[in-house]
Amino acid sequence: MKTGIFICHCGHNIKHTVDVKKVSEYFKRFPGVVVSDDYPFVCSEPGQDMIQEAIRKHCLDRVIIASCTPSLHEELFKDVLKKADLNPFLLRRVGIREHCSWVGDDPELNTGKAIRLIKAGLYASAHYVPLEEKRVDVVKSGLIVGGGVSGLSAALFLSKMGMHVYLVEKDAELGGHVRLLKDVWPAREDGSAIVSRMVNELQTRENVEIFTSTTITEFEGFFGNYQATLNTSSGEKKVTAGGVVVAIGFTPFDPRLKPELNYGNDNRIMTTLEFESRKDSLALPENPRVAVLHCVGSRDEQAGRPYCSRVCCINALRVGDAVKDRYKDSYVESFYMDVRAHPKGGEEFFEDTQEKGVLFTRSNISEINLGPGGVILRGEDTLFGEPFEREFDLAVFSIGMSPPVDSKRISSLLKITLDKDKFFLEAHIKLRPFDTAVKGIFIAGSCSGPKDVEESINHGRASALKLYGFLNLGYAFVDPFISWVDPKRCSGCRMCEKACVAKAIRFDEEKRIVHVEEAACMGCGLCNSTCPSSAVNLKGHMDSYIDDEIGALMEVM
Amino acid sequence: MLEGRNAKNPEIIGFACSYCTFKASEMAGSLRMKYPDGVKLVQVPCSSRVDPAFVIKAVFEGADGVFVAGCHPGDCHFIKGNYFTRRKVAALKEMFDTFSIKDKLHLFWVSAAEGRRFVEKVSGMYNEIKEKKNAGKTN
Ligand code: SF4
Ligand code: SF4
Repeated sequence: MKTGIFICHCGHNIKHTVDVKKVSEYFKRFPGVVVSDDYPFVCSEPGQDMIQEAIRKHCLDRVIIASCTPSLHEELFKDVLKKADLNPFLLRRVGIREHCSWVGDDPELNTGKAIRLIKAGLYASAHYVPLEEKRVDVVKSGLIVGGGVSGLSAALFLSKMGMHVYLVEKDAELGGHVRLLKDVWPAREDGSAIVSRMVNELQTRENVEIFTSTTITEFEGFFGNYQATLNTSSGEKKVTAGGVVVAIGFTPFDPRLKPELNYGNDNRIMTTLEFESRKDSLALPENPRVAVLHCVGSRDEQAGRPYCSRVCCINALRVGDAVKDRYKDSYVESFYMDVRAHPKGGEEFFEDTQEKGVLFTRSNISEINLGPGGVILRGEDTLFGEPFEREFDLAVFSIGMSPPVDSKRISSLLKITLDKDKFFLEAHIKLRPFDTAVKGIFIAGSCSGPKDVEESINHGRASALKLYGFLNLGYAFVDPFISWVDPKRCSGCRMCEKACVAKAIRFDEEKRIVHVEEAACMGCGLCNSTCPSSAVNLKGHMDSYIDDEIGALMEVM
Repeated sequence: MLEGRNAKNPEIIGFACSYCTFKASEMAGSLRMKYPDGVKLVQVPCSSRVDPAFVIKAVFEGADGVFVAGCHPGDCHFIKGNYFTRRKVAALKEMFDTFSIKDKLHLFWVSAAEGRRFVEKVSGMYNEIKEKKNAGKTN
């Protein structure tokens, strides 16, 4: 066996607490290790070339790359092996950044840990066998869950690329929240106009099937071939799609969850949304006093919404702007924590509203009481550290975005993960912001975290593009990590069959042993750890790999 | 330090599911959260891949603690894998109990989003084991 070990400095990231030289020297004395080098950036082009060259020059048959976490750059490094005509499954990644240099401060301990981790990779990879990526046929159609602007733009994109689209919306009408907005920042366009342009175009397209008032009730299958059961108003319908874009949006924060603010008990207290639709018919006195509250249901640990909702500052600013436009001598006071005037032009707009005379008070509002002459805000000025109490004719709440009501249900149906705030979790926040951990299932729009209209549209389009990339050839390659039964060892006890949720294990009545149906196997390895005869082994995660990894991690050096 | 195990610091081996706990550990890493170097992970596709033999092997090789970690019940990427894990670990615990080493084995549920929880769990376990390991020892 000829193993090449490449240890990445990741610039300063790994090198500053791991003695990379010591590590590469350490492995030079191992039998079978023909290359053990450290390098500033192994993922850079020269780094990749170096690995390729080493594979060719030394006829390497195992490659260990110790760098960032294994899931990062996985495809990139597999390609390096392929280019050097080496089976990509003979690669072992060892995470000495996320699992070592970034979580420990002591260079000596970290160096020792890096050595242990690499050793585990070295011992395990000795057992590796070349595997073939499995080619699977994929259905060239996409299922879009959610008919808001994200889902609509995803559907439009896919259908334009010639792919069949099923668009599912739980409400009776398409367009989500944007349909209800009168004036969408920054173009100041009517939300319903934006939506109907998209809907009209979709309706002309033959390859789009739209299901409104519809929910998904069942979901099964695997990448390239998912089956969903739709509960439509006219009964059940089954559709097959190669992949899915989940774009189920958000739920507006309900200010009733903060009862101290008295929302819902008085028509002088409203949300920015209500203000939008009612601003022409408000019965306000001549020189009205208007309070605008930022961050209602955002950046609020107690309300379970610790995150910033991004769009609500701009909405709050626009209330002040509208009031000042209508009533020159009005008194408008905005109560904010920080102003995060997020989208393009927002900061300038913030200055404009200040010039128009909107007052900004950095504060915490603790309660709103109802009085005969107005609503009374009590709070603390957090710059001066002083409590205050002020009366207004109107209080407008800029409410944040809560996760979609359906997020829990959809996450368990589709087996995609939620983050701690119950929005959907990206496979990697920076490098794979559209992917979920499940192959072929993507997320778009504010169901993965608050977004404005423009971002949601872009997100929808980008997810659709990724899905298109997966499906457009009509076939795709997936990891061959599936189980295999050794017929010589199988006793036919059928324990594995009972355990397998995917129903991938078949019993051969004649031979009285089982085999694994490759197309159905999900690669969990449960059968493997259940079989009393050690007859099943999961490719890519064999008993021998894990056994030796454990041994290496505990070896006294 | 490269020459041997530190007699006072525990060595912990954790089996972490690719879809949740291993992801959480990646998140903890990218947020630069600190936890003891004695905690080392073995990545498995699902917590249900963990053969009881792996846990026993880790203890035989000298691990002071072993944990198995997966997605919260009901959230398994492979649908029911973690229920099997729970049963297997419960059975193992009973076996460990007869050898009075029950405290060596832990089971956590840590989802992909819970980087902080991951650090809390592994550090908590580490400190607990370290205390026991060093009880009565001087220097
Ligand atoms: S559990 Fe093992 S021995 Fe029993 S049927 Fe399955 S593969 Fe064969
Ligand atoms: S690996 Fe999982 S899905 Fe595949 S046969 Fe075994 S138990 Fe079934």
